[in-house]
Amino acid sequence: MTELTRFEEEEFTGSFNAETLLRILAQVKPHWLWVLGFLLTISIVSGLDSYFTFLSKRIIDEGIGTGSFTLLRKIILQYGLLIIFQAVNVFGFIYLAGVLGERVRYDLRQKLFNHIQNLSLSYFNETPVGWIMSRVTSDTERVAQLVTWGFLDITWGVINILTAAYFMFSINWRLASIVFTIIPILIVIAALFKKRIIGEYRKVRKINSQITGAYNENITGVRVAKAFSREQQNMEEFQELTDEMYHAGYRAAWLSALFLPAVLLVSSLALGSVIWYGGLQVEVGLMTVGGIQAFISYITFMIWPVQDLARVYAEMQRSIASAERIFSLLDSEPDIQDALQAQEPSSLEGDIVFENVDFYYQEDDPVLKGFNLSVEEGETIALVGPTGGGKTTIVNLLARFFEPRRGKILIGGIDYTQISMHALQSRIGMVLQTPHLFSGTIEENIHYGKLNATPAEIRQAASLAGADHFISALEHGYQTQVGEGGNLLSVGQKQLISLARALLRKPDIFIMDEATSSVDTLTESHIQKGMENLIEGRTSFVIAHRLSTIKKADRIMFIRQGSIAEMGSHQELIKMKGEYYRLYTQQFRKELAKTFDTPDLMGMGVE
Amino acid sequence: MVDQEKFDISESIPHHRLRSLWKIMRGYRKTYIIATISLGVAAAARSGTYLLLGRFTDRLLAPANIKESILGIVLGFLGLALIQGTFTFLSGKLAAETSESITRRLRNFLFNHIQHLSFAYHDRTNTGELIQRTTSDVDALRRFFADQAIGAGRILMLFVVNFTVLLTLQTKLALLSVAVVPITITLSILFFKRISDAYEEYQDQEAVLSTTLQENLSGVRVVKAFARQDFEKKKFDRENWIKFLKGKNLLTMHSLYWPVSDILTGGQMLAGFYLGAQMAIQGVVSTGTYIAYAGMLIWIIWPIRNMGRLIVQMSSGLVSFERILKVIREKREPLSQGDYLPPDGKIEGDILFDQVSFAYESNETVLKNISFHAKPGQIIALLGSTGSGKSTLVNLLPRFYDYTEGKLLLDGVDIKRYPRRFLRRHIGLVEQEPFLFSRTIRENITYGVERNVPDRELIAACKASAVHEVITQFSEGYETLVGERGVTLSGGQKQRVAIARTLLKNPKILILDDATSSVDVETEAEIHLALENLMVNRTTFIIAHRIQSLMQADIILVLDQGMIIQKGTHEDLLSKPGKYQEIFNIQAKIDDALQKELTPSTYQT
Repeated sequence: MTELTRFEEEEFTGSFNAETLLRILAQVKPHWLWVLGFLLTISIVSGLDSYFTFLSKRIIDEGIGTGSFTLLRKIILQYGLLIIFQAVNVFGFIYLAGVLGERVRYDLRQKLFNHIQNLSLSYFNETPVGWIMSRVTSDTERVAQLVTWGFLDITWGVINILTAAYFMFSINWRLASIVFTIIPILIVIAALFKKRIIGEYRKVRKINSQITGAYNENITGVRVAKAFSREQQNMEEFQELTDEMYHAGYRAAWLSALFLPAVLLVSSLALGSVIWYGGLQVEVGLMTVGGIQAFISYITFMIWPVQDLARVYAEMQRSIASAERIFSLLDSEPDIQDALQAQEPSSLEGDIVFENVDFYYQEDDPVLKGFNLSVEEGETIALVGPTGGGKTTIVNLLARFFEPRRGKILIGGIDYTQISMHALQSRIGMVLQTPHLFSGTIEENIHYGKLNATPAEIRQAASLAGADHFISALEHGYQTQVGEGGNLLSVGQKQLISLARALLRKPDIFIMDEATSSVDTLTESHIQKGMENLIEGRTSFVIAHRLSTIKKADRIMFIRQGSIAEMGSHQELIKMKGEYYRLYTQQFRKELAKTFDTPDLMGMGVE
Repeated sequence: MVDQEKFDISESIPHHRLRSLWKIMRGYRKTYIIATISLGVAAAARSGTYLLLGRFTDRLLAPANIKESILGIVLGFLGLALIQGTFTFLSGKLAAETSESITRRLRNFLFNHIQHLSFAYHDRTNTGELIQRTTSDVDALRRFFADQAIGAGRILMLFVVNFTVLLTLQTKLALLSVAVVPITITLSILFFKRISDAYEEYQDQEAVLSTTLQENLSGVRVVKAFARQDFEKKKFDRENWIKFLKGKNLLTMHSLYWPVSDILTGGQMLAGFYLGAQMAIQGVVSTGTYIAYAGMLIWIIWPIRNMGRLIVQMSSGLVSFERILKVIREKREPLSQGDYLPPDGKIEGDILFDQVSFAYESNETVLKNISFHAKPGQIIALLGSTGSGKSTLVNLLPRFYDYTEGKLLLDGVDIKRYPRRFLRRHIGLVEQEPFLFSRTIRENITYGVERNVPDRELIAACKASAVHEVITQFSEGYETLVGERGVTLSGGQKQRVAIARTLLKNPKILILDDATSSVDVETEAEIHLALENLMVNRTTFIIAHRIQSLMQADIILVLDQGMIIQKGTHEDLLSKPGKYQEIFNIQAKIDDALQKELTPSTYQT
């Protein structure tokens, strides 16, 4: 359970960490001119906003008050020019902050992605894909928001309040002092509200994902629900969820609806005092009507920066939590790294030897213990045995996805940790049990095996793999889109393509994990042929499930509980009448049974 | 508030989407209208504030003309603020009530609706799409009511109220003050239309980027095995860069729209100030009137800039609604419709197929002239390749599909006369890949049993299904959660849980649709035992591939392309030339081969 909780989406803790903040700033350092640019333009915009109010006051006092048309026109002209200047700055801050935000998003994602490529397989075994995904997508989003719109909002709010304060104090400092007593009250109210509201919305999101889950089950399990006439009860259960959703959503919404009026009421107290006290000051000539008007405008519009600051503060906390998660991913180091002076041989020749190899994923749960194996160059080894016995671990160690915890693996007499990972892995060809393709065309997928391959080479590899047959029959041939994860193709077809991909590579060592899922007989025979072509002349390790594959191997190893229980040729092992014999006869019956449903045996056309 | 149980959204839903929108608001229309009116009251209170401010100014400048005291004005001011605050809150609260209530009702309705839609509908509908309809489209509709429509209403109310007041203050000034409003609205609609397209492209690219990442992560072994890290980095960089460019494009559009609309709106405002101030100097209006006018002017023209955004969002909200309507308009499968129930409420399990055919609505014939008679307690086996119609045939029994031609009788009565719910209560189905819910094992097994199941009975069912031992090994036992958040059961374990589930239901007719194919050899024997327990005293239909599982059947039907090509017992079919015999002979041949394979080696020893 600890594993699970570790990756649960952490709620933000809200502690301001100066170190994290500095690291965030370091991310935007290369673009400091942009930051400077948007901070400058937003400051101008914010200051001008305050000044506009002051200009409105001057229209009243100096224009209407004096009755001078010239003065009025002068103020209006100044106002008009400033509106245009303001527009230029508005363009500036939106463009600068917006594009910078995109840039920071791009940078962070690329940095994370590049880092992820270097992490070892053990990291991916321990870390759910969804966890990594949300680091790269939503967390980068939040950090980018913080360094652009977050900083921008803060700057705008602070400058706005400061300049408004400046004008208010210069109009009438006594009145301004009264007004400014309400600002702390407003900030406290805003902060309290935002905290509650954010809490409610978090609840809403949680219930919402439960509702999505319920729909998902309702739709995918609809046949069972129908077969068991469960409609009524399902509905009742679902109603509980929507009721909860209603209450949480309603609460969040009315709290939000209450927020503005509450702030409004508090600020209207300030307005009341302005009218009251200001009125008296006007009567004794200490203040003008325009001045009061200006005060009223300042107070009315001060609500925005105040409530904005509360929102930005809450978002900042979340962004910092996001940044911490991003940095934790960036700080994780790959378990397996190249030795300082790793060799870069152009091919992997010679025997492969496992020498006293120990391996475990978790320390208290050993998978291999003192494992020894020597394989001659060109030999084909079939690995058979129960799930969890260690077959996959052996090939993962060979491909250096993991390294032995103790003992050595030698290739051609050299400890393979002295060979660079790139050199090793680019000479190994691998076909996995659940073949993974990338979205794109069939050609692009085969291409993956050798990036500079010509179309002719690709075709050749495909036909050697026995894949050319079905590819040519497709409407778009090699240009057929395989869909996300290759999902538009059948498992058998995917396997054929991954065979072609491996063949194109002309590897020195070939590793295959045979698919267990059923494939139609025709494809099956194509796969067999492709595999034989790959095994030919190469040191090969096959985690085998099919009898034909097993029988063709030079040596068969029955792996159980991390060690070789039985080893030898098919005939030898059959004679032993041990575990292999049992497995073999069982598998034989199973394959036999399957032939009943094969369309060609039934004499019926393939659908 | 209407009783939400009684309100059936699907009943006579009008064809036009706006009228449908009105319809689904039933029970909350008044609330929503009050919410909008409240916005008008709040806007009026705001205008009142400015008028009061004007009077206040005039009182200060020419105290002789105005009688109100400053204190009175202050109190009026506070009173108006209170009214404005109260009604703003009221409208927010009522709008929330409306939107949340309507969405809750819609969510409940859709959930229930979906589980009442026919098999045929679910066959042709993509799961992901249906989930989209029920989640994000419903949420789009919620936002339509909660934010967009009410937001547009707010802008409209501000405009109408302030403009009306301005008209009474100074007609000419009022008319001149709104000269650019049509331009602003047009501009904003045009802009937001383009923005929403650009935004969609941007989001699409985000999806591409996520897919690239996800594929990279799930294919991490391939990437490593081929040492293709650099290639992957470049690939990601390409998509990432495209997204950057799309984002830049989006931002550029924003950075152009806002200053342009600022100049337009600011210019209008300034023109208003100028004209107003001029009138004030000329004495056409008082200074107080000017101040009131200047205050209200801001509330007329600035909010207009957002109108385009709201209109575009609303229209996409309506598109979501249209998609939801499509689901709503699908016909439900009536569960309790039927005019016959056996007098004792029980069925015998005598099933007669007489020239039964079945075709989808698309006229694609799946079953043709199926005839056979299954007596109570008999075992009927179905053999045939994928797509031969085996599953469809058994799905006619619980009326998942209704046969289209011929006659299908249960206990001598046309099956279409039985209510579907009644049939399904008496028919048990174990599927090839049984679906379990993310609940506890206990809840999964008692699924569909409407009474409280005592532990004794539960354990007995699980023992008979050979799954009790497995369950007790989990630390939480029967309370263990199944699925992502709990344990992952193997194919064989799921299969046996499903058998236990069916056993508890105690059906008179049992359908085993390829129930043992996904099971490994060791557990197969155990399941067979469980299945034999299950079959006692029930009319059983078995779909299977292995002759061993079929041999004991009373009737074996060999199907091909929707027709029965052979019918009889194992012995019958074996003695006649035909597909069955062929298959059996192949089996015999393979058995021989195994013997041959094994024998020489044993002799050599």
